[in-house]
Amino acid sequence: MTRRAGFMTGFLAVLLATVGLAQTQTVPSYRQLAYPPLKQVKIPDPASFTLKNGMRVLLLEDHELPLINGLALIRTGNLFDPPDKRGLSGVMADVLRSGGTSVKTGDQIDEELENIAASVESSMGESSASISFSGLKETSGTVLGVFKAVMTDPAFRQEKIDLTISQAHSGIDRRNDDPQGIAEREIASILYGRDNSYGWNIEHPDLARIQRSDVQAFYRRYYFPKNIMLAVYGDFSTPEMKEQLEKLFADWSPEQPPVPAFPPVTAKPAPGVFLAEKADVTQTFFSLGLLSGTLRDPDYPALEVAMDVLGSGFTSRLMSQIRTKMGLAYSIGAGWGAAYDHPGTFRIVGSTKSPSTTDAILAARSELEKMRTTEVSEQELKTAKDAVLNSFVFFFDSPAKTLSRVLRYQYFGYPNDFLFEYQKKVAAVTRADVLRVMKQHVDPANLSIVAVGNPKDFGKPLTEIGRVEKIDLSIPPVPAAMAPVK
Amino acid sequence: MRFRLSLFLLLPCLLAAQSVVELQKSFEKKVTEFTLANGLHFIVIERHEAPVVSFHTYVNVGSVDDPSGETGLAHMFEHMAFKGTPSIGTKNWPAEKAAMDGVEQVYDRLDAERNKGARADPKKLEAISNQLAAAMEKADSFVEPNEYDRLVESNGGQDMNASTAEDSTNYFYSFPSNRIELWFLLESSRFLNPVFREFYKERDVVREERRMRVESSSQGKLIEALSATAFAAHPYHNEAVGWASDIENFRRPGAERFYRQHYVPANITLGIAGDVYPSEARRLAEKYFGRLVARPVPSQYRTVEPIQEGEKTATISSPAQPFVILAYKRPDRHSPDAAALAVLDSVLSDGRTGIIYKDMVRDKQIALGAGSAAEFPGGKYPSLFLFYVLPSSGHTSEENRQELDRIIQQVKTTKVDDETLQRVKTKLRAGLIRSLNSNAGLASALCSYYVNYGDWRKLFTELDEYNKVTADDVARVANTYLVKEHRTVAYTYVPEAGSEKEGAK
Repeated sequence: MTRRAGFMTGFLAVLLATVGLAQTQTVPSYRQLAYPPLKQVKIPDPASFTLKNGMRVLLLEDHELPLINGLALIRTGNLFDPPDKRGLSGVMADVLRSGGTSVKTGDQIDEELENIAASVESSMGESSASISFSGLKETSGTVLGVFKAVMTDPAFRQEKIDLTISQAHSGIDRRNDDPQGIAEREIASILYGRDNSYGWNIEHPDLARIQRSDVQAFYRRYYFPKNIMLAVYGDFSTPEMKEQLEKLFADWSPEQPPVPAFPPVTAKPAPGVFLAEKADVTQTFFSLGLLSGTLRDPDYPALEVAMDVLGSGFTSRLMSQIRTKMGLAYSIGAGWGAAYDHPGTFRIVGSTKSPSTTDAILAARSELEKMRTTEVSEQELKTAKDAVLNSFVFFFDSPAKTLSRVLRYQYFGYPNDFLFEYQKKVAAVTRADVLRVMKQHVDPANLSIVAVGNPKDFGKPLTEIGRVEKIDLSIPPVPAAMAPVK
Repeated sequence: MRFRLSLFLLLPCLLAAQSVVELQKSFEKKVTEFTLANGLHFIVIERHEAPVVSFHTYVNVGSVDDPSGETGLAHMFEHMAFKGTPSIGTKNWPAEKAAMDGVEQVYDRLDAERNKGARADPKKLEAISNQLAAAMEKADSFVEPNEYDRLVESNGGQDMNASTAEDSTNYFYSFPSNRIELWFLLESSRFLNPVFREFYKERDVVREERRMRVESSSQGKLIEALSATAFAAHPYHNEAVGWASDIENFRRPGAERFYRQHYVPANITLGIAGDVYPSEARRLAEKYFGRLVARPVPSQYRTVEPIQEGEKTATISSPAQPFVILAYKRPDRHSPDAAALAVLDSVLSDGRTGIIYKDMVRDKQIALGAGSAAEFPGGKYPSLFLFYVLPSSGHTSEENRQELDRIIQQVKTTKVDDETLQRVKTKLRAGLIRSLNSNAGLASALCSYYVNYGDWRKLFTELDEYNKVTADDVARVANTYLVKEHRTVAYTYVPEAGSEKEGAK
C-alpha cells in the first residue's frame, strides 16, 4: 500500500515537473533580466531660516496625510554629565516632559495630548538632545503650544524627579539580566575607559546625588534658542507655518554663552579578552572591538565597503562562514560605527552556544585578519558597492527621511551634499583601497574582546585567544547615608 | 468643567472620524486586487511618491500547523526559503542533487541505528556519523553560498527578512521600482521550486536562534512556560521556534512534506505597495507566479482548547529581576467581543493615560513597567488576554500581582468614563492614519486583513466596530473573560541560596 502510494506520488511528481519545466522555459534567468533606468527621485528642498530669537528652523511640506510632525535638536548630551552626577542629563530630559510646565502638571499634559492622539516627547542622546512632536493637522495649534511650553517653561516638579530617579535605580538593578546588553555596555566601557563620559556607567550613588537645582541648572545652560535647531514637516503651508513659529517663540529669548565642544576621546587601546560570567544562559554573547573614526575620515567610504564585505547583511563573510558554513551562530555581524563628531567603535557582534564560544570568536577574528592580508574578490567588491549604490534611492523615499538627515548634517556641521559625495566615493573604491584601509585602521593586536557567558560550559578555554581578565558585574549600592528616605 | 472639556474634545474627534472615511475613499482608488487561476491572491497599492516598492508575502501557515514531534518546522521552512532554487545557489545542480540525496541515505541508516535506543552500537553510530559529515561536506561543496540573498542585496534590496508566528509566515523586502521584475522572478521561484540545501547547517542556526530568544532570557523562558501551561491541547502550547529536541531532529523530507502541504497557491497572499502599476503587476504575476500549480488548501487545525477548570501556575527559577504575567483565556479575533477586548486593552495600557501605567508606575510606583496585551500568542484561534509587570526594586511580585487584581476588579465594577473611552477611540483612529505612509506597513497590513477577514477594507471599517463599543461593553467583557478559573499566573522567582542556579549574578 505504502509502496503504491509512493509510486503514484512519484509518477505525479514527474508529470508535474514536466509541466513545470515546459512553463519554466518561458521565464528568463535572473541573468537575462534588464532593468530600465530608475525614475528621477524628487529630492525636496526644505525651507531654512532663523527665528528672531536665534532658533534655526527647517520646514518641509508633505501633504499625503493630515499630520504635522516636528523634531528639535538641542546641542547638549550625556557627554556633559558631571563626573559625580552621571545620569543628570537623562533625568533632566525625562522630567522636562513629565514634570509639567508652570501652568499644567505633566499628568494634565498627558491627558491633553492623548485626548487628541498627539505626542510631545523629550530625550537625551550622547551628543544631542531632542524634543519631538506629532499630531493630526486639525490639532496642530494645541500640539505646537504644548511643544513650546515643554521646551521653554518646564517646572521640573520634585515628585517627577523622584519618580524618574527611582525608575533609573530599578533599571540599574536590572542591567545584568540581558547578556547582550552586558556585552554592548562593557565593550564601550573598555574601549573608551570607565573614567570618562564615553565609557562610564551610571551607578546608584550618582543618582542619589542629583538635586532639583542640578536639573534646573542643566536645563538653563543648554536649552536656549541659539542652541536649538527645529525641523517641522507635514501638511501645512510654509509661509503660514513660518509666521506661526515666529509668533509662538516671540516671547522666548534667553541667552547663554556658546556651548563648548564635547570632550575629546582620550582612550588608549585595551587589548585582551574580558569575561563577564553569567550562569543562567546557554549562549555566549561576544563583541570584538576597536575605536573607529568619524564620518569625515576620507577613508570612511572605503571602510564602509570593507564592512559590507566583512559583516553586514546576509551575504557577508562573517555570515557565510560562521552562520551558514559552520552553523555556529544565528546572529553575527560587524559595523564600522563611525560617529559624526568623535571616534565611534568598530565592533563584531555575535552569539553562539556555550561550547563553541572560543571557536566562534577565533573564527570571527580570523575573518577580520583575512580582510587585512588579502584583497577582497572582484565579486565581493561589486556586491558591496552595488548594494550601496542601488539602494541609494531609499535615502530619499520619504520627505521625513530627507528632512531629518539635513537636520543632522546641519547640527553636526556637515555639508548638505555629504551623502552625494559619499555615493561618488563609494563608486570609486577599489580592492586595493579596501585592503589599505583595513591595514591602516584595524590592528588586531589592539582588539578588545568581551564574552558574556557561562565559562563552565565553554568547550575550549578563552585563554586560547589571549590573556583573560574578569569583568566585575557587581552593582555598587547606594551608601546608607545617601539612601532616600521614603 | 468636565462638560466643557468634553465639548472641546468632540470637535477634533468628529473631524478625525470624517477624515478616516475620506481616507478610505481615496485609498480605494489606489488599491487593485486580482486572483490568478491557481488561487494566488495579489493586492497592489499604488503610491508613486518615490521610485521604490515594498513586497510582502503572507502565507496562511504558522507554528500551529507544525506536525507533532516537529515543533518549529514552519519556522525551519522559512529559513530554507532563502536557500535558493535549482538555478540559484548552486555550482552544479545535478551533482548537488545527487549529493543531497546521498546525505539522506546515510541519515536514514543513522536513524535506523539510533532507533535501537539503548541497544544501538556506539561504534556503528560513530562510523555512520562520520559518513554523514562527509556526505554533507560533499553536498555543500556544490553550494554557491547565500546567492539568493546576494541577488537581493546587490540589486538594492532593503530590509529583507521573514518571520514565523503562531498564525502566519511572512516574507518581505523592498526594491528600487526598476527592479520589480526581479522580485517576481525570485519570489515565485523560491515557492515554486525551493531547494533545501545546507538543511542540517541551518538546523544548527535555528537551534542557536532558540538559545538566543528563549534560553538566554528569563523573560523568554517564562513566556514559553506560560504558553505550555495555559494551553493543554491547542498548539499555542508551543513556542513558534519549537522545542530544542524537535529542532535537533528535523529531517529534510519532513520539511519538504510540510512545504508541499501548506505552501499551496490558495494559501498565499502577496502585497505590493509603492511605485507600481497594476497592469504591469498583473502581467508579471501571470508570467512568473502562473507557474505555481494549484493544489488543495490543507484543512485548518481543529483541536479546540477545552474549557479551563481552574487557575494554573507556571514558574521559572532565575537570578534575574522578577517578571510576572497574568493570562486569561479569550475568544478568537472573529468573536463579537473582539472589538470590546481591544478597547479594554487600550483603556488599561495605552500610553501614559492607561489605567495600569497611572496606577502602578506613576502613582504607587511599585512597577518599573506594566501593561496588557489583548491577543497572545495569536488571534486565529482562542488565545490569551494578558497582563505583565516588571516590579520596581524593593517591591515584590506578590504586591504587584495583588494590585493588578485590584485593577481588574475595578474595570469589572466601575464603568470607564466618557473622556477615557473617547480618547481611546481617537487614538485608534490616529494610529490608522499614521500607519498609511509606509509602503512596507501597507503591504503587510492589507495582506493580513485580507487573509484574516476576507477584505483589506476591514483595516478601515474596524474603526466603526471600535466606535460602537460602550462603557457597558468594556465592563461586560472584563467580567466575562477576566475570570480567575480561566487564568494562568506565571512568574520568575530567585532560587534559594546554595541551589545550583544561585550566584549567577
